[in-house]
Amino acid sequence: MVLVLCIGDIHIPQRATDLPAKFKALLVPGKIHHILCPGNLCTQEVFDYLKTVCGDLHVTRGDFDNAGSQYPEEKVLSLGGFKVGLCHGHQVVPWGDMDALGLLQRKLDVDILVTGHTHEFKASKLEDRFLINPGSATGAFGSMTKASWPSFVLMDMDAGKATVYVYELLNNDVKVEKIEFVKAPA
Amino acid sequence: MKRALDDDNLREALRYSAAMLGELRTSLLTPQKYFELYMQAFDELRHLEACAAYFAEEHNKGRSYADLYELVQHAGNVLPRLYLLCTVGSCFIRAKEAHAKDILRDLVEMCKGVQHPTRGLFLRSYLCQVSRGLLPDTGSEYEGEGGRISDALEFLLLNFTEMNKLWVRMQHQGSPKDRERREKERQQLADLVGKNLTYMSQLEGLDVRLYQDVVQPRMMEQVVSCRDDIAQQYLMQCVIQGFPDECHLRTLPALLAALPELQAGVRVHLVLASLLDRLARYAATDASVVAALDSCDAFGQLLGAAGKVAAQHAEMAGGDVAAMFIALAQFAAAVYPGQLGLVDRVLVACHEALGERGGTADRTRAEKQLIALLALPLARPDAVAVLGLSAYPRVMALLAPTSRKEMAAKIVATLLEGDTEVGEPAQVEKLFDFIAPLIADIPGADAGQDEEDFEEEQGAVARLIHRLRSPLPGRHFAVLKAARARLGGGGARRLRFVLPPIAFQALGLVRQLAEGGAGRGPSSSAAAVEDGEDAPTAEAVLQFVHGVAVQLAEAGDKPEVALQLFLAGAQSASEVARLELIAYEFFEQAFLLYEEAIPDSAAERTALASIVGALQRCTVFPPEPRAALVHKATGYSAKLLRKPDQCRAVLACSRLFWQATPEPSPPQDVGGAAPQPPVRDGERVLVCLKRALKTAHAAQQQLAAALRGANTAPASLFVEILNHYLFYFDQGMPGITPSVLQNLLELVANEMATEPCQADAALVAFHANTLKHLAALKAKGGPRYDAIQL
Repeated sequence: MVLVLCIGDIHIPQRATDLPAKFKALLVPGKIHHILCPGNLCTQEVFDYLKTVCGDLHVTRGDFDNAGSQYPEEKVLSLGGFKVGLCHGHQVVPWGDMDALGLLQRKLDVDILVTGHTHEFKASKLEDRFLINPGSATGAFGSMTKASWPSFVLMDMDAGKATVYVYELLNNDVKVEKIEFVKAPA
Repeated sequence: MKRALDDDNLREALRYSAAMLGELRTSLLTPQKYFELYMQAFDELRHLEACAAYFAEEHNKGRSYADLYELVQHAGNVLPRLYLLCTVGSCFIRAKEAHAKDILRDLVEMCKGVQHPTRGLFLRSYLCQVSRGLLPDTGSEYEGEGGRISDALEFLLLNFTEMNKLWVRMQHQGSPKDRERREKERQQLADLVGKNLTYMSQLEGLDVRLYQDVVQPRMMEQVVSCRDDIAQQYLMQCVIQGFPDECHLRTLPALLAALPELQAGVRVHLVLASLLDRLARYAATDASVVAALDSCDAFGQLLGAAGKVAAQHAEMAGGDVAAMFIALAQFAAAVYPGQLGLVDRVLVACHEALGERGGTADRTRAEKQLIALLALPLARPDAVAVLGLSAYPRVMALLAPTSRKEMAAKIVATLLEGDTEVGEPAQVEKLFDFIAPLIADIPGADAGQDEEDFEEEQGAVARLIHRLRSPLPGRHFAVLKAARARLGGGGARRLRFVLPPIAFQALGLVRQLAEGGAGRGPSSSAAAVEDGEDAPTAEAVLQFVHGVAVQLAEAGDKPEVALQLFLAGAQSASEVARLELIAYEFFEQAFLLYEEAIPDSAAERTALASIVGALQRCTVFPPEPRAALVHKATGYSAKLLRKPDQCRAVLACSRLFWQATPEPSPPQDVGGAAPQPPVRDGERVLVCLKRALKTAHAAQQQLAAALRGANTAPASLFVEILNHYLFYFDQGMPGITPSVLQNLLELVANEMATEPCQADAALVAFHANTLKHLAALKAKGGPRYDAIQL
């Protein structure tokens, strides 16, 4: 069993003051095995904070991450029997488009593709693959959504079976939803 | 002596006692050792006292106490004589054969015969001790003919005054070089003097009136007039701790008046702190106490006293001055928790007291104390109320530049911790006064600060900006304008931190305005009435964002951030406010920055992807202006440095000519232009796709020429292009026939058959995935796919 936290588009300090306190309370160190951050951490402080939650932190570069930061544009990892791809998504035009993301997924040859940029949680199945956008962990202002609220995703992966928990903060209440994804037999 | 007592020989016993007491005449002992000797003698005298009483009462030798009192005066030396006199005198009083007041007066006067400081102190201490239970206190058995409470007080006061004189005089014994040791010894004897005060406070008959009229004036007179550091320090504490709260409350003016009179070496701030501590605890017991404090303006008196002390003692250390005001601020917080105005008065007084001092000698301690004083109001749950303290920035200005900055950072951190929101423009102005050292350069504050510290500090300011908001759009806008006016003057290196948050707040406001019907909805108009400020138009706010972004661009520090701001503004203008001209202007500015300022090819790639992505979404532009913008963006893609980048960029640009059908949404009256129908221009898409193919070929030839034919990057580009063709074919775009697609499939298959491609596992997988995708499309795609062969 592998617990993977997907969290991104944090945008501190340009668009938000801090991660919601209720999220911070949930993200206790020592529980999570890997963190995937599609980008827009924006500051070293947030990077350091995520490092305290889990040392195995993977970040790709967002459009607001410092150009000097050494995050790669995309990244592929093997986790819990899945091949997982990570990319911010501002490079994929049209933004947030399923077909365009599908192309990237085929190129990276991943079972699950984690992207960000839209500031809106989305989990969808495309052919026999899975796309996840954890939304913005701070509910930061986004150009593409009418309203955004804080959200992140926790994936419990085990031997080709992934249970995806979506944490959303609505009216200061944390709401959790569960989505299952099973890898197609090879 | 004891043997003589056992033999009932009183005369002999007295003689031996006198001889023993003669030992106390020594000058050789330290006070410590002298004290031990005194205690031994004391024990012996207790014995004598007990026996004397026994003789007198039980055996009745025919001697009255009066005789005995006379008898002991025959002792040869004055010191033993007085000890014996005190002993017998106490028995005399106890036997009630004489009036307590007479004997006591007699004794206290006669003790003046010993003027040697140490000996005199102990002798009077003995007198004090033996007479303790015998004072004509109210309700005691010695009251009445034996005297009244006033006699008891008179006795103790007199004894106290004399003892204090002796104690003070002690410092002149011996050579000046032993001064330090001697002062230490004097400290050890303090309690002998203080005992008088303790006994006084324990008298039943001592009421507030007597304290006010008799005790306190006499005590203070002695304390002030002795002009001795150690005595004043000790006795002030004694007075404050020893007597009841009520007494202090009643005599506050007199007590406070003494403070500035004290010697320079007295640490007045400690005296004041203990007084304040007592009063605060007293006030906590009962609400009526607070009323009593108010009725005499206790706070004003205390504050005034502190100011006077600071003014009269120019040599007082800055740290001690600040410590007094800390005590006052704590007192105000404890007794009047809600009244921040009092804290402000403390700050005003503190500023006045310290301002005159300018550069104090003990800078660091004064700094520390001042920081502690300033930190006090921050500890309140409603830290934002600190902004109401008008004197706060002035006191901050007394700090050295680096500490001032630390203090400002602390304020920011405190405000960030809570859920504080600052929603008044005036309050925002104040906030910036408070954190002034962070928002502009001040000389001397940045010494030794590295880039990381600076980023952290400016990051905190940037985070705070999101707390500057009001639910009322008009006020929110005013707040943002105030923030920009102040923060915009902070110099180029701060702008990249503080301007983006302002811009994004403003963009949020644009959305709020658009959703609320551009400020014409009932709720916002009601708010505007109550507010006195009209809600701004979305256009005005977007102009503001534009100004902010232009300023950031001109600062030149982070052109890529400025470019992203222009793009965010463009999308907001286009998709939220539906203002074509402003949206166009934003894009133009973004293009200008792209052409002139983007530093390297990686940043260029990101910037171009952002431009194309943003433009692709926009639906506000009519065909002509849109064509102009799209033309520029596609032009940029051909000018990227590397061929693969060019190829991918032009593929992305193809989507500029193929917009998705928007999801049906309820029509919104935002006062702007209606969305244009989605662009579907197959011809132009095909031009892009063909150019992508051409670029991929060119990349291949370039590599072959460089003898690097084994590089699989061009092949990967072909597979990518194939994927795009698949997309447009599936969309039913007219220009792509099954045979065009079939040709491309074959071209890619041939490429993939080469040895280097087969060795590239990732590429093989990409190709395989693409074919699988095609199969999936074909499976549900209908007859158009029949001609396609896998």
